[in-house]
Amino acid sequence: MRRAAFTGLLAVALTFTGAFLLLPVLAIFLEVSPGRLLDELQGDVALDAARVTLKTNGIALALIVLFGTPSAYLLATRRFRGRTLVVTLVELPLVLPPAVAGIGLLVAFGREGLLGGTLHAAGISVGFTQLAVILAVMFVASPFYIRTAIAAFEAVDETMLDAARTLGAGPARTFFRVALPLAGGGLGAGAALAFARGLGEFGATIMFAGSLQGVTQTVSLAIYQEFDVNLDAALAISALLVLVSGALLLSVKVVSARAPFVWTSSPRFARSG
Amino acid sequence: MNRVALAAVALALVIAPGGGAKGQARLTVLAASSLTDVFPLIDGSESYSFAGSNQLAFQIRHGAPADVFASASPSYVQKLFRDGLVERPRTFASNALVLAVPRSNPAGVHAIWDLRDKKVRLVIGSPAVPIGDYTRRVLRRLGLASVLDKTVSQEPDVKSIVGKLALGEADAGFVYRTDVRAASGRLRAVAIPAWAQPAVRYQVAVVRSSRSRPAARRFVRLLSTPRARRLLIQAGFTVP
Repeated sequence: MRRAAFTGLLAVALTFTGAFLLLPVLAIFLEVSPGRLLDELQGDVALDAARVTLKTNGIALALIVLFGTPSAYLLATRRFRGRTLVVTLVELPLVLPPAVAGIGLLVAFGREGLLGGTLHAAGISVGFTQLAVILAVMFVASPFYIRTAIAAFEAVDETMLDAARTLGAGPARTFFRVALPLAGGGLGAGAALAFARGLGEFGATIMFAGSLQGVTQTVSLAIYQEFDVNLDAALAISALLVLVSGALLLSVKVVSARAPFVWTSSPRFARSG
Repeated sequence: MNRVALAAVALALVIAPGGGAKGQARLTVLAASSLTDVFPLIDGSESYSFAGSNQLAFQIRHGAPADVFASASPSYVQKLFRDGLVERPRTFASNALVLAVPRSNPAGVHAIWDLRDKKVRLVIGSPAVPIGDYTRRVLRRLGLASVLDKTVSQEPDVKSIVGKLALGEADAGFVYRTDVRAASGRLRAVAIPAWAQPAVRYQVAVVRSSRSRPAARRFVRLLSTPRARRLLIQAGFTVP
């Protein structure tokens, strides 16, 4: 009886939490009719923003995975002095205010920044280009991938890696043929999380890359600009972003819910290895 | 004291409005970004929210709790007045537009016409903010509308333009004369011919939904006292 009452209390709290989180999201869809939302999404601003966002975030995600995967594997499988410090550094962008990220990127890669002279000499100009958007997205989104990837590699049964080595596989072959497939679900989830964070990136981007339609104006920046000019368009782009981000998060849940069953069926691996 | 009480006290501390030491609530003043430096000098005891005038007008329209609205352009505050959301606005200061360049002046912009002839990374306000609207008007009057093609970014308020110029990221940008003064030597101003200047008038009004309208009216009157006028002039404004 007391247990039921307690569960009831928890359910009340969950109802409030759920309603509070759902309401703003729902309101976006209720403020304007679906037909109007679809119309607004065909506007120049929305289409340009979608194009810029997909391109910059696609490149950023590819680079994050390319550099993040080996980094995470190293951090997950080796113990060395200063490892905690490196992990903290990797996680730092998670808690940094976007304004700090933006101003940091400016004074590092900006024209008068630390690397500004070097980049200029190499003929590279970062400010106000899509490269700036990519750098901003990579800075804020990479921790989401690397953290998840470290956890995924740490969850890989070490006896698998030992077995691979005993059977004569070198460290690189072990990484590509054993560790990578076994951690695949976790890596996929991390990539989806990083992508979702990148899609919503705003603060660092507007400070570092500026906002120009068709060049650096991503969907988040377009929402902010249209908020003044055309509220319906801002709502339409917001609605699209809600749907895409929601789908990404859901896919993470589905992938990570299934993954452990694959990972833990060790006999099958022993046979097929 | 048990944990629940502690939590309650902590919550109360977080939620309780700041100040109020004299038993008098602080006014909430929504003011244009370009007033960021001068308003706290005129009256340091109110709580200010500085942003683009258009955003502030939007907030008032959607019921944000506010007592006073000071806009960088009459249009927003007049529209609110017509809709009965604020009391009658009054002009308390004027400003002028300048073309600002970083101190290092990387593109070598020395006159407004250099915008047309040189390779320039130009930063302007988005069309919805007053500074963006004024900028487009000035360029049209000067016959320089084609210069807009050199825009590398449209910023949501004037402080973002100043920041990009102060860090030398952009070559030139249109801001208010007062912004160059406030940027303490990081910016240089290139004058715009007087005949092309728009009338940049700042208007202030008491918000009708304010719970302390008498105090809000006192704040509005304070802006035309000799001391306030002196501070406004020092900041680079002109006063009526």
